Amino acid sequence: MAELSLQHIDKIYDNNVQAVFDFNLEVKDGELIVLVGPSGCGKSTTLRMVAGLEDISKGKLLLDGKDITQAPAKDRDMAMVFQNYALYGHMTIYENMAFSLTLRKENPNVIHKKVLAAAEILDLTSQLNKKPAQLSGGQRQRVAMGRSIVRNPKVFLFDEPLSNLDAKLRGATRREILLLHKRLKATMLYVTHDQTEALTLADRIVCMSMGHVQQVGTPLELYDRPNNIFVASFIGLPPMNMLDVAVEDGQLHGKGFTVALSEDQRALLAPYKGKRVTLGVRPEDISEGQGLEMKVVTNENLGMNTLVHGLIGDNLRVTAKLRGWANYRNGDRVTLQCNKMHFFDQETENAIR
Amino acid sequence: MTQAMDDRQIRLDRMRYVKNKASSRLCYLGILLNVLYFVSIYKSDVASWYYQILVGGSIVYNLLFMLVVFLASEGVKNYQKGYSYLLFAVGAMQVARIFILPSQAHKAVVKISGTETVVMQNPQYWFVVACLALSAACLIAAGYINLHKSRILEAHISALKTAS
Repeated sequence: MAELSLQHIDKIYDNNVQAVFDFNLEVKDGELIVLVGPSGCGKSTTLRMVAGLEDISKGKLLLDGKDITQAPAKDRDMAMVFQNYALYGHMTIYENMAFSLTLRKENPNVIHKKVLAAAEILDLTSQLNKKPAQLSGGQRQRVAMGRSIVRNPKVFLFDEPLSNLDAKLRGATRREILLLHKRLKATMLYVTHDQTEALTLADRIVCMSMGHVQQVGTPLELYDRPNNIFVASFIGLPPMNMLDVAVEDGQLHGKGFTVALSEDQRALLAPYKGKRVTLGVRPEDISEGQGLEMKVVTNENLGMNTLVHGLIGDNLRVTAKLRGWANYRNGDRVTLQCNKMHFFDQETENAIR
Repeated sequence: MTQAMDDRQIRLDRMRYVKNKASSRLCYLGILLNVLYFVSIYKSDVASWYYQILVGGSIVYNLLFMLVVFLASEGVKNYQKGYSYLLFAVGAMQVARIFILPSQAHKAVVKISGTETVVMQNPQYWFVVACLALSAACLIAAGYINLHKSRILEAHISALKTAS
């Protein structure tokens, strides 16, 4: 049982720079929460405040209802996995994993049982006598996770654990973290700037920008119903196409193009008639059909899909993710249709719903 | 009874991953005692008496001793049986050394300004004898512990292999 509650948390550094503004989050027992956002958005700072590695300037942090805002890191019963693994190079994998328990002067036999159990979970049994330098990046990160597991903490904290790994290893280790979470059913807070990690791992995602929480929700909610332009652009790869349009007579008019609206969309945008809004269309929501004519600039074949980058209207850049293998050349003209559209208020940048 | 058996099995199994620190620390202690021995000898050279007999050889032996025992300390850390025999030999040599430099110096008399002086007085003699004897004891104990543990570990590993 480990429920975490972050209430109105601010982080203000000594030089008066504020890194986190009014952060609120309730983490349920066994939930995997991913904090995602670009570099400098305050996600790692938030995690470090939870871990006790940074002071909380304002607000409260509760673990199972107990106020731990001022508690030192060692008394918080949390384990953190760092991007750079933070393993002791002169110790074997076994000694690294046993280290925190040895410091606590636990019974060596109990330590042995815990280390072997963690090594079994992480498939590290055959590596226990090796030194970290003899392991691959993915294995080292598993050791770092193993060191956390043996402590049996209430909350696991991951600070960009996959950033040092190559793409293939990152995918494999990501799946291992997911399996680990299912197996341990532990409460986890995970920081990443990679939205693919966020979408694949999270029970819920906290999307942050400039120290502010932009949206909290399930991966599908953030993908399908983004709160604002930032979330819409950040979640999804390639990012959503954003086009400046005017709402007029049941249609959207952009620079050199027009998009027809359905009845529901007309009703939704009725208050914006005569005003300008931002039209958002995900590349995967564009298909070949009737409507927009695009002049192809580049064509990227991904196997199952083809990314077609081009220009519509008055040289507005648009990316379409079309199904199958296509071989468009620079200058080809393709007619596209938008299957799903998102609308954003240009003043507030919030989604129009 | 079952719990005790279980604990014993775990203790055995731990040896697969935990180094033999007891033996290696005894080796370090053996080196330290040897250092105390030769520091005591060389700082109390009376009328250059020590330069009369094999002092060069003694210095070279001390250096070799430290290198060999340090190497053995790493070997016994990993339960390598061969290093036990090396430690037994070096330990025996430490005992033999009592009868070389210290014994001769204890008996030797030199004249300083017309006065006869014993090169190594009783307190220093017993001190260096103790250093060498304790150093020998440490090395032999380190070798014995390592031999014992490595045999147990070998049996445990072969039992595991048979079981699997």
